[in-house]
Amino acid sequence: MLVEEFLAPKILIVSGKGGVGKTTVSAALALVAARRGRKVCIAEVDRKGTLPRLFGGRELGYEPGQIAPGVWGMNIVPEQALGEYLEVQYHMKRVSKVFSSTHFVDYITTAAPGLKDILVLGKIWYLEQGKQGGRASQDFDTIVVDAPAAGHMLTFLSAPMGLSDALRLGPVRRQSDWLVEMLRDPKRSRVHLVTLAEEMPVSETLETAEALRTKVGLDPGAVFANAVYQELLKKEDEETLERVMADENPRELRTRAAEVSLRLDKEDLGALVGYARFLEARREIQAKHLRALRTGVEDPVIELPFLFSAGLALPDIETLADVMEEKVDSL
Amino acid sequence: MTNVIRDIIHKKEIVVCAGSGGVGKTTTAAAIALQAAIEGKKVAVLTIDPAKRLASSLGLKELSGEPSKVSPRKFTVAGLDPKGELYAMMLDTKSTFDKVVTRYAPTPEQAERIIANRFYRNISSTLSGTQEYMAMEKLYELHTDGGYDLIVIDTPPTRNALDFLDAPKRMTDFFESRVLRWFLLPYMKGAGGFMKVANVAATTFLRVVKKIVGAEVLEDTAEFFGNLEGMYEGFKQRARDVAALLKSDLTSFVVVTSPALDSVAEATFFAARLNESGLPFGALVVNRVHPHFGDDIAVKARQITRLEKGTAEDRLLAKLLDNHEAFMRVVRLEERNLEALARKVPRHRWARVPYLEQEAVDFSGLVAISDQLFAG
Repeated sequence: MLVEEFLAPKILIVSGKGGVGKTTVSAALALVAARRGRKVCIAEVDRKGTLPRLFGGRELGYEPGQIAPGVWGMNIVPEQALGEYLEVQYHMKRVSKVFSSTHFVDYITTAAPGLKDILVLGKIWYLEQGKQGGRASQDFDTIVVDAPAAGHMLTFLSAPMGLSDALRLGPVRRQSDWLVEMLRDPKRSRVHLVTLAEEMPVSETLETAEALRTKVGLDPGAVFANAVYQELLKKEDEETLERVMADENPRELRTRAAEVSLRLDKEDLGALVGYARFLEARREIQAKHLRALRTGVEDPVIELPFLFSAGLALPDIETLADVMEEKVDSL
Repeated sequence: MTNVIRDIIHKKEIVVCAGSGGVGKTTTAAAIALQAAIEGKKVAVLTIDPAKRLASSLGLKELSGEPSKVSPRKFTVAGLDPKGELYAMMLDTKSTFDKVVTRYAPTPEQAERIIANRFYRNISSTLSGTQEYMAMEKLYELHTDGGYDLIVIDTPPTRNALDFLDAPKRMTDFFESRVLRWFLLPYMKGAGGFMKVANVAATTFLRVVKKIVGAEVLEDTAEFFGNLEGMYEGFKQRARDVAALLKSDLTSFVVVTSPALDSVAEATFFAARLNESGLPFGALVVNRVHPHFGDDIAVKARQITRLEKGTAEDRLLAKLLDNHEAFMRVVRLEERNLEALARKVPRHRWARVPYLEQEAVDFSGLVAISDQLFAG
């Protein structure tokens, strides 16, 4: 699949369970799009996430602000989306303090479950249409939505389909129909899932993919399996390792090392083999879950490598974007 | 030196496991409870959202929202001989809430009316903070009436690990909100006349809200708030009791983290916040730490390049060196993150659990985690 094709829908929704690296994947996806000359907006939903840190610490507001060349960032806060909705639909210019209070927003979203999600999706719809507050606004080529964590995510995406009784009779009905259209049209929007090669994230991803099909009526795009340890030793390397390690004090390796003026003691060699073994053990666990993932989803699985870090920064995201381009191309 | 977690299970009655999502909170809670049972406690572990295999390994296939005993056979099969008993349960937000309502309603009829109310039914699935509140409520109930020596509780996977601390207050404030009462006044029984005093903004607004959610919903909610009348004091008293229990020396908070930057930042913040709130911090569990093998090996890129061009052994060596260097880089970065954490939480309050070669998805995996937690 061409990267262009992958980026064809204007809205790319990235979702997954908490802690699997959704924000990282969203950011990498945004970079891929920006590299192709697109004007990209990454929208976080109601969270103070890692996104600002990745892009140099700038806080994200409700208005898109530029965070990197070709990339804008914003944070969709339901309270503000409610305010904007009331302003656009009911010309309530200045919503009084009382009604923008947390209690009131809590109230209205409890009274009408799903409204909060519809407001957030509505904001994305506005962005897609190039509108802001009912007025024409900057037009993005790509909108990457860093969606709420899975579980919640299903409720999020299915909100316009399963309107509560309260909303079915009201004016929100018509607007949610627009959202349903937007979500179900693969030319306009695509949902990509992110997971780790671990038991719980994989099983939730399978459930989510299935529910997206049956409950929401949309086909997920791709599943990104994040932080996958890459193969180190090929079969021949394994054989070589076994042979040299038969010697309790692997002279052969030490000799080879000495040839390039590298002095390795017994402990060094133990550490070298230790990490190789550790990697194999982790890979075996991951492989099991990746198999389950591939068997369980019909969608293409894109593996992203584990990056040897402990907190990703922009250069790491660039690396992931490289891998993403390459893997999407070979789909 | 005794182990910090062991110390807690023998001195405390409540252990609250907190931390950001994806750091192994649930597993840690289960592993702590497991060891406590082995060491003679009658212990209950209250989980929020366990992995399926973890749940079934604890015998939680049938989730009732009440503790059920983990079969002693599970222990025997794993070669263990527990002196105590392990009970496990998963939080059922709705039924816990129903119980609270039944307890504080002045009459059974009023409780029934509230439970049947549509707005009330939405609360347990929709209103944020409800799950956290009910987790604390269930904890209090188990502690008061359960007859357990120790209760270990996992906290909900919130965006913010601190949410549950504020949840009870957030809920009671919501129920008592003057904004809402004022707004719903025209719908309150026998209060129709007050509509006149509401200002223009309020009436305009009410009209809009009525349009969005419908008049029926407004009536439902007004009825709900009306029925709640007279129950606030009970709710608030209970919230105060729960808060007092959490602050008492019967409780200990275990903050769970991974060595990754974001989760370390969250753990640091959380530990500080516990202190400010007068909540007893007990220990820090650092999960998912990459193992540290050997020391740095000074290798130049040139040497690797030469090896890569050599014999099978040379190529193998090049790969091993590369891999070692990559892991050492992670270990150093993790250590740097943890160093910052150590300045806030001294290391003698830590328990470290490295990445293991097996997963904690079955009983024996849980035992392995437990061995690491209680090592030393």
